[in-house]
Order: sequence, then structure tokens, then C-alpha cells
Amino acid sequence: MTEPENRLRNISNHFSNSFKTTKDERLRVGWLCTYTPEEIILSAGFTPIRILGEDRVDKAEGYFPTNFCPYLKSSWESILNDISKLSAIVFANSCDGMRRLYDICKNYKPQTPSFMLDVPRINTDASLKHFSNNLFELAGFLGELQKSKIEFDFLKKSIEFVNKKRTLLKKLNHYYSQFNCLVDNSDYFDILKLSMISEPEIFVQDLHTYLEKIAEESATLEIVGDSENDGFPPRIMIIGNFINESKLWKSFKELNCKIGATDLCNSSRYYEGLVEDMEDMENASKNSTIESLLGAIAARYLNKPQCMRMANLGIKLKEVKENIINNNIKGVIFFSMKFCDNTLLFYPLLRQHLSETGVQSLFLEIEHNNFSEGQIKTRIQAFLEIL
Amino acid sequence: MGFAENIRETLKIKIQKNLNRDYIEKILGIVGSWPVLPVYGMTFASKSDKYLNIATIKNIKKAYCQKYPVAYGSLFLPYELLHSLDLVPFLPEVMAGFTAGIGIADKTLKEASARWYTPDLCTFHRSASGAVELNLFPLPQFLICSSLACDAAQKTFYIDAKKYNIEDNFYLIDVPYNKTADSIKYLASQLEDISTNISKKMGKQVDMDKFKNTIRLSNEFRYWALKVNDIRKELLIYPKNFNGLSFILPFHGLAGTKDAVVVYKNIYFELKDFLEKQKGSSGNKKSGSNIKIKQDIGKTKRILWLHLKPYYKNNIFEILENNNCRVVFEEISQVYWPELDGEKPFESLALKMLSHPLNGSVENRMAAILEMVRSYRIDGVILFAHWGCRHSNGSARIIKDTLRNNNVSTLILDGDCLDKNNSSEGQILTRIQGFMEIINSEQS
Ligand code: SF4
Ligand code: SF4
Repeated sequence: MTEPENRLRNISNHFSNSFKTTKDERLRVGWLCTYTPEEIILSAGFTPIRILGEDRVDKAEGYFPTNFCPYLKSSWESILNDISKLSAIVFANSCDGMRRLYDICKNYKPQTPSFMLDVPRINTDASLKHFSNNLFELAGFLGELQKSKIEFDFLKKSIEFVNKKRTLLKKLNHYYSQFNCLVDNSDYFDILKLSMISEPEIFVQDLHTYLEKIAEESATLEIVGDSENDGFPPRIMIIGNFINESKLWKSFKELNCKIGATDLCNSSRYYEGLVEDMEDMENASKNSTIESLLGAIAARYLNKPQCMRMANLGIKLKEVKENIINNNIKGVIFFSMKFCDNTLLFYPLLRQHLSETGVQSLFLEIEHNNFSEGQIKTRIQAFLEIL
Repeated sequence: MGFAENIRETLKIKIQKNLNRDYIEKILGIVGSWPVLPVYGMTFASKSDKYLNIATIKNIKKAYCQKYPVAYGSLFLPYELLHSLDLVPFLPEVMAGFTAGIGIADKTLKEASARWYTPDLCTFHRSASGAVELNLFPLPQFLICSSLACDAAQKTFYIDAKKYNIEDNFYLIDVPYNKTADSIKYLASQLEDISTNISKKMGKQVDMDKFKNTIRLSNEFRYWALKVNDIRKELLIYPKNFNGLSFILPFHGLAGTKDAVVVYKNIYFELKDFLEKQKGSSGNKKSGSNIKIKQDIGKTKRILWLHLKPYYKNNIFEILENNNCRVVFEEISQVYWPELDGEKPFESLALKMLSHPLNGSVENRMAAILEMVRSYRIDGVILFAHWGCRHSNGSARIIKDTLRNNNVSTLILDGDCLDKNNSSEGQILTRIQGFMEIINSEQS
């Protein structure tokens, strides 16, 4: 038991408080898309809970066609089962599937208040303004549920708090990509999952303590990062949509596959990028308005690493390229949830772009909550062999 | 097969055998020239079909002839914008329908698969992307798409822009979810910016007089389209081969041109004739009417068609007619927008886009469907559930339940608009027959 990984391995010990999410006295508001600002939900006095869609689809099947996003189907199952006891749900206008899920929820579960947040697909001054206005509407919706208005100070504090959480998660990513023996795939994704569903204040405390311990351990592991960068095993980048499959992360470990970077909507696209201009806010006088804070939030969300839903796929290609260079990536594994048009339609472009730059890629389509481990493992193994 | 159909079959086979852009351009150059085009037009069985085909060939020829700047456009754009900017629109989704019509979709879809477009994606976009990769479509100078109604166009258009190396000339019009004063402003500002930007790239200024004229023509087309739709509230007998789902190009892509006005004016007068004949013949079946009335008008079931139809050879509509059912209206034919204001072109076009029932919540689509059910006294609704269309099929449950609550039966007919191998004719027949039985029993 002297190996560092054995001492730190068991995440549940470090995050035992976060696991006890039932302790949270606050009402919960569900969200699904990473373009939903948690800081606004928090400032209205709710705990933001991401709907992970972990329920096996049963009743939900009858509401959607067979070839429909399985993540959204199982999310609908979770909403129907009311497991998280949500006071409201914030949807985002992210894709065709999400718009339809919102319709279904409004029609067949009207007792749960729901809000559709319109998120622009372009990043211009006008779209920023439009998005800020929509965030104002969202703040109004949440305030009304609490029969109060969101206060400037609360929102400012929430922004600072969520920024802190993001900074810690980014630090976690650093240890994960540099010291895989301390933070492995399963740890990383388990912690990320917790970050989206547990009481935020407790989670941040747990994460802070955990990272301090990891920092201590890493200090003893000199040049581990470099030795892991010597080209073997080759570093892989994972790109995809919402891939929340613990079996998959275990498979990577079994295959001795080193993930050097991830670009998923439950990894970097969730925590990268801060709400900035906080300094201006510090200096802001009494005249400071909620609108100015909402503007800063809108800017963070429109400038964070892009989801494939955004219009300018050139920016996405650029982000991927930078990630590949910065992390010494040798191959890309592209995961798409089945029937996700935004993701599926990005791959032809990405593949061509990668092949022009000499980076190999593997395309894997998976069913949410229900994929064949053996088959996927064989394909990944074959891919690793050709790298 | 008659003489006219023989010509068309020969043309199809020639294109199938010489699948390249130059050959398509050559064929269009011949068929679209004077006096061949008017003569070719005469081979069509009805006036509606004749003017539709003349306008279509004329405009596609223009896009292929390499003399004008071409802009690819997604289906629900306000095409008045493109016409005002002197761009020749080319609609890849509509042209994908043609790939099925002329029997080359097998090839375009195969090409798309080879380029990693998975079979789960909508075939309109897969086939169009395959055609782009096979260099069958004209070279564009600009690509303009909108987020209305689905996610697919903005992705495939970007990929096309990359292929043609003109990413800077790719524009996405981001259509807001709600229709509010703020969203009209946001959308109008995008339309104005795009116009300025494109004009600049073309070395000129936005010509507001041109905009005014285009808007005037668009309103004229709207006037005739409304009149056509009014007649259809009564009409049960139609010219041979008439199908409202065939008029997508003039209804969308030619809005703001004289061609759209001519097409709809002619449909109106032809349908008006038919209505008069219908009225004359309904009292006295031996009234000398030269129209072959297949249906017993009194017993004809009135069907509303949702989404699109298969564009390859099929007999769905014949089956319906043989079962005494007539599609009296299609969702796609609805004039959903208010009259445009030439003094405020950008706001007007923004309002047109935001009035589209497929934008935003399904409540908008549902309200439009219920209004059509009421005005066209609909007995049954058929939603053609085109494989891979998440936006439309994702609403099927709500559409069916809402219509049931309004005592209207709905048939969700699974199939594929382009890929005949993904549609089972036998199953479609069985489902339609089952549906007819339900409607008939409800009425009795
Ligand atoms: S995975 Fe794709 S289809 Fe599903 S919710 Fe996300 S963006 Fe939409
Ligand atoms: S059929 Fe549906 S998915 Fe396909 S292009 Fe039309 S709206 Fe989009």
C-alpha cells in the first residue's frame, strides 16, 4: 500500500461528503447542456443538478422515435421518474433533440416548471447582447420560482464561486493529464460527474482537499510527466458529446491507453474558461447592474471551448489542433452518441482535417448506457496498434 | 409511356451515365434554351406542371451556367435577400430531392457514406453532401444557411465551404427561438450585416431599390399563393400529377422573383377552372366534364400531409386516391408570414423567418396544423416520418396526441424521402389501408 495510486485510489473516501447529496436542503434545478449558467441557478438559491440520464429507458421509449438521442431519452426517463426531485428544469436550445425534449416535458410534465434558454450559434456583438437578454429572462424565471429577485451581490458571489470550481477542475485536469498514476481515467470522470450533481459548496471543499493531497504526492514523483511524454504509450485525445460511461474509462485503463486530452461536454467544455471582467466588477460602484454581470456570463459561455452545435466549425478545428499540439497527441478517438446530428456531422470534417495533418482517428458510435464493451475494446486496441 | 415521359426518361438515363457537373450543365443548356424550353414545357400534362418545370429548369440552368454568382441556400432562408443581392440561389436540399427523382441518389448516398456521413443522418443532407463531393453541383461563391428548422444544414454547408475553400463566405443566420421584439431586431441585424458583407465582397453597395422591388414581387407571389390555398379549401379534383409537395423550389427559393409570381398565378387559374368543373360535375356526374373524376366527391376523405414526400418513383398518392382519399393540403404549402414591408426589408424578412411554424416550440407547429385542419375540414393527417429527421419526428407523439384530442386521426408513416431502400412499399400500403379503415369507421 505504499504506491501513491493505491493510497489515493478510492475516490469515494475523498468525496464522501459530496456523495451525500441528500444533505442539501436547497431546492434543485435540473440542467442538461453546458451552455446553461450554473451561477445564475445558484444565485437564485437553487442547487444546479445536471440531468445525467442514467435511467434505463422504459416509459420514455413511447415518446420519441427509435432513432433519437439516447441521452435525451434516458433523461426523459429520469424526469418522469422524478428521482432528483427537481423544482424546475432549464433546457437549452442546443440541438433538435433538446428542443423536442423540452416540448415533451412541457406537454407531459407540466407540473415541473421548465425554461428554454435560447443560446446563439454565432459569436458576435449582437449575439452576445441577445444571449445576455435571454439570461435576464432566465434570471426572471428562477427569481419568480423563489418569489424574489436575483440580487447583484448574490450573482457576483455565485460567479466567483463557480469560477473557483472551474479553476480547481482545471487543476484536476492538469494532474490527470500529467500524472495518470495519481488520477486515472475513472477518477477523473467520476470527479467530473460529482462536480455536476453534488452540492456545489461541499464538492468544492472536497476537491480542494483532494487536490492538496495530489499536489503533495506529485511533488515526490519528479519528472513523471516527462517520462509519460516519451511517446509510449501514445497519447490519445478523446472528442465527443456527452460520454458518461464508467465502463469505457475502465476499458481505457485495461488497454493501457493514455488519454492526454479530452474534449467532451462532460469534461473541458464544462469547466474551461472563466467569467472574466471580475476586476471591473470589484471596482464597480453601487450602479453595478445585474445586466453587466449577465453580460460577463454570456461572454464566458460564448467563448468557452465550442460544442459542435456552434456555427463556426473552423474554430472547433482550431481548438482541436491546439490541443493536439499542446498535449503531444498521437491519435484521436471520436465518440458520438448515436443519432446526434451535430456531432455526427462534425466527424467527416474533422477526419479530413486530421488526416491532412497526419493524425490518425477512430470513429466510435455508442449507445448511451448500453454499449458493447468487448467490441469497443477490440476496436480501440486495433487502433492503438496502428499508432 | 407517352412521348413526354420518354423524353424525360432519356434525359435521366443520359445524366445517370455521364455523372459530372459539365454534362449536367450541357443538358441544362440544351433543355433550358429557347425555343426548346417552351416546347419542352408543352409536354407536361397540366399548366401547373408546365410552369413549375420551366421555372425550375430556367433557374437551375442559371446556377450551372457559370455566368452569375451562385449562393447555396438552406431551405427556409428568406430568398428575397439573395435575389436582392443578385445572387443565384442553389438549394442543395431541394436538389437532393432531384437526385432521388433522377435516380442517382444511390450513388450520392454511397459517396457520402465513404466520406463518413453515417446512415443515421438525414438523406437530404447526405445525398447533397455526396453530390458536392462528386462535383455534381455548381460552384458556389457564397453559402448561406439558417438554423431553421434543423441542425443539419449549418454543418453540411460549412463542410461544403471548406471543400470549396471559401469558409469566409459561409454565413449562418442564427434564428432565435422566440418571436419577440428583441429577437426580430437581432435577426434583422444579422440579415443587414450579411447583405452589407456580401455586397462588399462583390464590390458594390446594398441596393435598397432592388430590395424594394424584390419585396414587391414577393408580396405578389404571396397574394397568388394565398388565392391558390383558398381554392384548395374546396378543391377535390386536381390536374394530372399535381402535388403541392413538388412546389418547394418556387415557394421558397424563388420567393421575390417574377417566376414565382408566374407559377402561382398559373396554378391559381388552372385550379379555379378545376373548381368550376368540380362544382359543375358534382351535381350531375354526366355533365360533359372532361375531367376524369376518380373519386366520389361526396365520400372523399380530406387528408393533410405533414413534412415532405418520397421524391423517387412511388405510388403512395395513387394508393390514397384509389382508397378515396385526397391530400387537400400540405403543411409545406402554408403561407405563414405576413405581408412584407418594402420600407423595412430586414425587419420584414426577420419576421417572416420567425413566423415559420417549424421555428421554436412545437406549439407553433401545432397551432398551424390545427388551423389547417379547421380550414381544410381535414378527416385525417399523415405525417411522413422521414428517417433521420429529428426535428420533425421528435414531435410525432405530441402531434398525434393533440390531434386525437381534437378527434382527428393521424398516421405516422415511416419512410425515407430519398432512399427507396429505406422505405418498404408493402408496409406503407398496409399502413395506409389500415388508416383508411379507421377514418371510414370514425365517420360512419
Ligand atoms: S448528445 Fe447531441 S443530440 Fe444529444 S443532447 Fe447532446 S447535442 Fe443534443
Ligand atoms: S428532412 Fe428534417 S433533418 Fe432533413 S433537412 Fe429537412 S428538416 Fe432537416
